[in-house]
Amino acid sequence: MKRLLTGLIAGVSIMLTASISNATPPDDTFVVGLPTDTIGLEPAQISSRHTANILKHIFGTLFFISESGTLDPNLADSYSVSDDGKEYTFTLRKGLTCHDGEPLTAEDVAYTFNRVVDPDLAFVGNSAGFVFPSIDFKEARADSELDVTIVMGAPNHIALGLISEVYVHCKDSYEKMSKEEAALNPIGSGAYEFVKWDKGSQIVLKKSPGSAVSANFENLIWRVIPEASTRTAELIAQNVDMITNASPDQVDAIDASSTAKVQKVSGTRRMYVGFHQGEKYANTEGGRAIQKSEVRRAIQYSVDVEAICANLLNAPCERATGIVNPNNAHPTLEPYPYKPEVAEYLLDQAGYPRDANGVRFEITLEAGHGRYLNDKNVVLAICQYLDDVGIKTKCDIMDWSSVYVPKIRTKDAGPMFFLGSGGGTWNPLYDMTDLATVESGPNYTEWTNPEWFNGWKVINNSMDPYVIRREIDRMLEVFYNEGPWLLLYFQPDFYGVSNRVNWQERRDEEVDIYNATLK
Amino acid sequence: MLTYILRRLPQTILVIFGVTLITFIALQIGGDPTYLFVSERASPEEIIATRIKLGFDKPLHVQYLNYVLNLIKFDFGDSLYFRQSAMTVILEALPATIELTLFSMCIAVFGAIPFGIFAAINRGKWIDGTLMAIAMLGQSIPNFWLGIMSILYLSLNISWLPISGHVPFLMPILQGNLLEGIKNFPTTCLYLILPSFAVAFYSLSRNARLVRSSMLEVLSQDYVRTARAKGLSEYSVIMKHGMRNAWLPVVTIIGLEFGFMLSGVVVVEVIFAWPGLGRTVFNAIAHRDIPLVQASVVVISILVILINLITDLIYAKLDPRIRLS
Repeated sequence: MKRLLTGLIAGVSIMLTASISNATPPDDTFVVGLPTDTIGLEPAQISSRHTANILKHIFGTLFFISESGTLDPNLADSYSVSDDGKEYTFTLRKGLTCHDGEPLTAEDVAYTFNRVVDPDLAFVGNSAGFVFPSIDFKEARADSELDVTIVMGAPNHIALGLISEVYVHCKDSYEKMSKEEAALNPIGSGAYEFVKWDKGSQIVLKKSPGSAVSANFENLIWRVIPEASTRTAELIAQNVDMITNASPDQVDAIDASSTAKVQKVSGTRRMYVGFHQGEKYANTEGGRAIQKSEVRRAIQYSVDVEAICANLLNAPCERATGIVNPNNAHPTLEPYPYKPEVAEYLLDQAGYPRDANGVRFEITLEAGHGRYLNDKNVVLAICQYLDDVGIKTKCDIMDWSSVYVPKIRTKDAGPMFFLGSGGGTWNPLYDMTDLATVESGPNYTEWTNPEWFNGWKVINNSMDPYVIRREIDRMLEVFYNEGPWLLLYFQPDFYGVSNRVNWQERRDEEVDIYNATLK
Repeated sequence: MLTYILRRLPQTILVIFGVTLITFIALQIGGDPTYLFVSERASPEEIIATRIKLGFDKPLHVQYLNYVLNLIKFDFGDSLYFRQSAMTVILEALPATIELTLFSMCIAVFGAIPFGIFAAINRGKWIDGTLMAIAMLGQSIPNFWLGIMSILYLSLNISWLPISGHVPFLMPILQGNLLEGIKNFPTTCLYLILPSFAVAFYSLSRNARLVRSSMLEVLSQDYVRTARAKGLSEYSVIMKHGMRNAWLPVVTIIGLEFGFMLSGVVVVEVIFAWPGLGRTVFNAIAHRDIPLVQASVVVISILVILINLITDLIYAKLDPRIRLS
């Protein structure tokens, strides 16, 4: 028994001296707490914002989308567009190097773009699945050591921004690696070099001495902490400097601590309730009703969006006046106010008076659970607001990934459905491309209004920014008056930030650590 | 013994295939998972191409048959989410779960012994009442709540133990780096304390009650009275004569405990950011990563069956009256 006790005491002593249990990062290190790990470090296979945020510190892009939405030079310092609008030629800065020590030239850029569409590699991430089809990518070619040309099938007003989403990597290293090796060994030219990836735990980066992008911290660590309350605890203990996706119900706890605070920002994700306009629900009572634009407009007045934001999201929200983010939105349209009496009047006028039971018509609102901020309660609140104006609404909340996503993607959700769509700050057309054509994938409402869709012909056939902007505003007015969305809010994002550092959040869910500093 | 093991083999194979069939059906209930593997702006043609590439265009019975035929060849398929071999993903996560489960098992088994013995030899006294009240509490408290509370009070408020994270011990050893594994061992143990306790507390409580009642029964036996009458010390009576028989029931349920703990570690691994197989399976289910879930289920089933087999063999060794038949 004595030997057992002695051994136990010795063991405990060793363990307690083995490590300080809660350790603030050193002054040269910035630690970010993430809710999920990345699935790989392949720059051509990015499919989540978290992965993109990590890789943007390892890789550079030709241009850089700033927080205010401007497109600033990054690896390239200038570009030109061919007369037919189909070729973008970028001139790289001189003296760029890859993390493997090789110079980064136009050949690496051309290799990057052509590699994305290599059928043997069969990438399905953001570049291959969205960017390249959007710009109708044909090929990339190196015209000289510093000049690279991206060739598209047709002119595209948002090509520069889309091209700026492609992470440039280094031909010499990537040609030698298999696809599996490339997913584990990223070699770029960004501010940070890859050090190691402890799967499920952390990704460690260190500052690259030869990078064209400056950064203040020597080391950057991305720690995977899936549970929100654990992330909060690590932040309050100052073991991490910043956490993404801070839970709204923990905002007060973080702010009450003396070691951290929450930085809230109105994001670019457009939250809306879609009105299905297709055949599928046209013969149902509610589906028939929302085919009328007067009914859709009435519903805009029936939901108190400000109250939803204040009480369920624990943050004031930026209201939506349309499909476009506020900095690029229509200059004069105002968000629909909460006026249930106006909603009731408009519904009466639209031919839907209350019956003896006080019901105008019945409808179902479908939603997925667990994807967006407090989504279940937001949807329940919307259902209640609709009930209050006589629209008897059945809330059908289902599992997000296994049930709701397939319904949405096959355009079967409805007659009303709750959804969010990511947006951007750099061009209104980027947000509007959700409804670029009637057949567009994200046109989940199957809206076909010709006043909207014919506007694209004007935009695509013009190079005059004034004409384009005028047409955008006209289309946004159509969307405001007759659109297929109940306009809600831009989802706020919550970042927990340690009092140890200064860090500036962005609206577009991108995370930049370059300019973070110690206080 | 070898005959016994060989006789268990057919039922092991049956169990594994039964488990894969149930898992396959359960995962298919949610419908076509193709949409989770394409971007939201993918065209209909891309969706169709992805569905064909992932094999979801085939009839369900064909999909299952292909899976079984590959399983026979020890081909567990590729993870749809990680886009690499499912077995690679599992083998990367498994050592962390083994660390957590073994540490938890040690707490649950070896912690229960003194717990139960003290309660038994102080039967009716306040120590017994207190220990059994704690045991009842342990069987009532959910492990996720215990985990979060322990973080709040033991890590955040008084900074005794780390909040979350993992320092690998087994993985470096398996990769051939013995020195690094040994160097990491004390820190690994530090990080293991809270999550292991959260996993093990329920089992420890149950085992303690089992040891207590078993010990009470044993201590009332004639041979124990004889041992005392011979003048043996109380320590010898309890530890050498009583304990050997009292903890047979505990050994019996170790196999069941292991399976129970493997299910319990899922939530605890998420709370403590422990990069183990439980968390991997949890994410795989959420992402409808069917090959990874199925491969994980096979691996976990094999582990549970193996532990149960070892338990049976140990039991036979401990109790000569038991024959492996």
